[in-house]
This record gives sequence, C-alpha cells and structure tokens, in this order.
Amino acid sequence: MTQRGTDAPIAASPQPRLLRALTILAALGFVGTLVLGLFVAGTDIQQGQVQRIFYIHMPSFFGAFTAFGATVLGGIIYLWRGNDAWDRIALAGVEVGLAFALINLLTGAIWARPIWNTWWTWDPRLTSAAVMCLTYAAYLMLRAGIENPQRRRSLMSVYGILAFVSVLLTLFIIRIVPDTIHPVIVGASPQNAQGTFEATSGVVLALLPSLILWLTLMPITLMWHRYRLALRQEAVDALKLKLLGG
Amino acid sequence: MYAAKRTTRFLLALLLALALAGWTSAQAETPYYQSADFNVPILAGWQNQSADGAAQFSLPSASAIIRATMAAGADAQSAAAADLTGWLGLTKLDAPVYSGKVNLADGTWHVLAHDIDAERSASQLARQAGDRFIVITFLESEPASRTWMLAIAQADETLETPEPEMDGALQQLTQLRLDDLEATGTSALPGGDWLVFQSETAQAAGSLFGNDSYIALQEGALGDLTALADAWRGALLGFFITPDNSLYLGLGLAVSLLILAGLMGSFVWRARALQKDLAMIEQLESADAN
Repeated sequence: MTQRGTDAPIAASPQPRLLRALTILAALGFVGTLVLGLFVAGTDIQQGQVQRIFYIHMPSFFGAFTAFGATVLGGIIYLWRGNDAWDRIALAGVEVGLAFALINLLTGAIWARPIWNTWWTWDPRLTSAAVMCLTYAAYLMLRAGIENPQRRRSLMSVYGILAFVSVLLTLFIIRIVPDTIHPVIVGASPQNAQGTFEATSGVVLALLPSLILWLTLMPITLMWHRYRLALRQEAVDALKLKLLGG
Repeated sequence: MYAAKRTTRFLLALLLALALAGWTSAQAETPYYQSADFNVPILAGWQNQSADGAAQFSLPSASAIIRATMAAGADAQSAAAADLTGWLGLTKLDAPVYSGKVNLADGTWHVLAHDIDAERSASQLARQAGDRFIVITFLESEPASRTWMLAIAQADETLETPEPEMDGALQQLTQLRLDDLEATGTSALPGGDWLVFQSETAQAAGSLFGNDSYIALQEGALGDLTALADAWRGALLGFFITPDNSLYLGLGLAVSLLILAGLMGSFVWRARALQKDLAMIEQLESADAN
C-alpha cells in the first residue's frame, strides 16, 4: 500500500484480486465459525445457550486489538516517514477497531443480563472497555474537526498511539485489579468471578478458529476496504480543490 | 488465482475437520446426567441407571436408590406421590409420615417421607418448575431397616448445629429423642461434615448448609448412613435446570451482525457518494472545457 497520486482516477479502480479473495474467505470464515459456535460446540449446562455469545465476544476484542494496533503502527510510521498511506491505515484501524470494540462491549452486556442479572456494572474490565470505545469515538470526532490535513494527520497519529493505552488497560486490568467479577478464560479467574466456565476441548475447538479469524482475516480485510475508501475520498477532495482553484 | 482457490479449499477442509473434532468432543462424558429438563451430578460409587427423563443412581449394597425426575400434578405433594406410585407400580400410597417445606437457593421445596410397605421407605423433595414439578426421591428397600432423608429450615439460625432439627425429626418419625442416642462424632465427607448420633437400633446424621439442616435417620439394622446422606444431599444441591436464554443469544448475534453490516454498509454508502461527487466533478470539468 504505497502512496499514490491523489488525482489518480482511484474511484474507478477495480478491487485487487487478493482483496476479493480475502473478502470471500473472511465471509466464509465468519459463517463457518458461527456454525462451530452455534451448532458444534456443546451447550454450557450452567449458563445455557447465551454462553455461545462468548465465541463472538472474546474474538471481537482481539480483532479490535489488531485494528487499534495497526493504528499505532500507522501513527508511528507516519510520524517517522510522513507517508500519507500510513495515516490512512491508522484511520482504517480506528473505524474497524471501534466497530469490533462495540460488538465486544454490547455482546458482553447482553451476556451479563441473564448471567449477572444486570446489563451493566461498573466493574474495572467493563469500565475500561467503555472508556476504550469512547477514546476511539473521540478520535473520529476530533479528526473530523481538524481542517488542515497535515496538522490533522500528525495530531491524530499521536492520539492514535496514546489511545492504545486504553486497549492495554482493558486487556490487563483484570490481572492488575483483583476486584472484578469478569471471568478469565485463559488462566485462573479471580475468586469473585461470576459466569466463568471451563475451556474444554469443545469450547477451544469452536473458539480457536473464531479467534484466528477475528484476529487476522476480518480486521485486515475490513481495514483494506476502508483504506481504499480513504484513498478515494482524498482523490475526490483533491479534484474538488483543483476545480475550485480553477 | 490458483493459489487463492487452493487456500480456500484448504480452509474449508480445516473448518470441516474442526467441526468434526468439535462434535466428537461434545459427545464426551460429562460429570452430569443431562436431560432436556435438568442436570444432576453423577454420584461417584453408585450405579448409574438413568434413563429417558429420569436420573437414577443405585447402591445395591445399601438397597438404596436416588432418583430425580419431572412429574405432573396439581401441586408438589400430588406430583411427588404420582411419581412414586407410577415408578414403583403402587396401587395405593398412604399419607406421608412427614411433611414440611424448606426454602433452598433455587426455590421452595416440599419435603415428604413415606412408609411405603414393610420393606420400603422413601423420602422426597419436590418443587414447581414451570408447569411441572421436580421430584427427587430417596428410596430404601432394606427389609430390616427404615431410612429417611429430610431437609429442615433451622428454627434458630444462630445455632451452629443441626441438633434441634434432628431431635424433632427423630421424635416425629421414630418416637425417639436425640438424648436416647449417643453422639459418636463427626464424619467428614465430600459434601460436608455430618454429626452422627447412634444407639443399637437407630442412628441420626445431621449437617448444616446455609440455614438449613440436612438430616438422615435410620431405624432397625444400621448401615453407613452418612455415605447415603452425603450422596443424597449431593444430588439435591447439585441438581439444576439449564436456563433457557436463547433470546439473549439471538439478541447478541443480531447486534453483532447489525454493527458489522453497518460498518460495511457505510463503506458502500460512502463509496457511492464519492462516485456521485466524482461524476459531478467530471460533469463540471467538461462544462468548463466547453
């Protein structure tokens, strides 16, 4: 993904074959992992059917992690090299990551209703996940409010790098703050965790493909689509400017 | 393109293999008897005779059976009686020799004890679940003895002993007092500690859990009462119904799909908007050129 001339007729450029193949694979993988989670994995006899939300809830967080990680990478390389392509990657990471983080947050709340008997509680993990979503929503709002493109790219690169602290905090907070009811699947849950379950082979077999899909294929594919959209946007903006400039 | 096809085939084969492996592992044995309606822990050391809709565990050496099932009836008592008569093929069942209620974590249970005939005695706990009743039965068929299992709410929750309830149950079922028996100590079992009182012809075991006393009484030929009592309490406290929360699963899936569709839809919508802008720019450019 190298920098291209902004006045190129990008809006009409065909979709690369690899992107098309990735899109098909991601769609097939999404359906396949849904089938694994809904029909192949056994029903948790304590929690019932709602436990299957876990096969989306946890992988979606790791998908957000990949996407927000790409924002950090994009931000660092943009600040270092000044190549606009990396700013587009950073922006794509935020949009895709925020969508995934929202899926994570909302599926968690939906799972909590029958298991914890509440949609929401100010648990450290839940609070940090909500703060993470708000931090990246603010990224998009702030980005839209800065007129100067150069200034916007530099400032948002710094913001994107710093915002990743909220992702790390969400990931590690239940290891740091023991006062949480959020279960830990990999490793021992805290003593007051509620709704935890054993990661038996059936669970792992349904979870692993989903985790791989959400961690790699889905964020990369969606970010590539978003990157192309940003490229088109820039091309159209450049044409508009050219037209206005006469 | 050929490589993409090969990758797709490989991933599909991998997915199929994972599905097969997942299905196989889902068939593996679990420590619970699972029916469509409820789950009961499989009792260690007992013969598992569970069949469709009824969990049943037998200990032939003690002539004891623990059974859990769902029964229909107008109320808990009649459902429990109907289940017992249907199961044992009885034509008549006398009024229970003990009847009470106890509030456990999952609801109010009716506690019943029956003297069925010269050989058999039964203890039942029953509570409503939807339009039916859960019935957990302890059946003892040793001709030389009578055995009952009861759960009684503590009259005085400040006391840390089941002795008052043991005394009351003994009086009601055997006409004996706890003072007539000798304390033989505490038996530590997987389910908890059981306080044991014994005489030559009767024994009583009691254990506290929460604010309830779990009591086992035996009259006649005496056996390992605490082992029976611990298994019975294990079945009772380990019994649970898998909640039906499919609606929440559906909601979670719908929300996830909606967000993903929203994200992809926004890409398409914005791309189309840009296409329109581009067409307009081209139109203006050609107008300028003319």
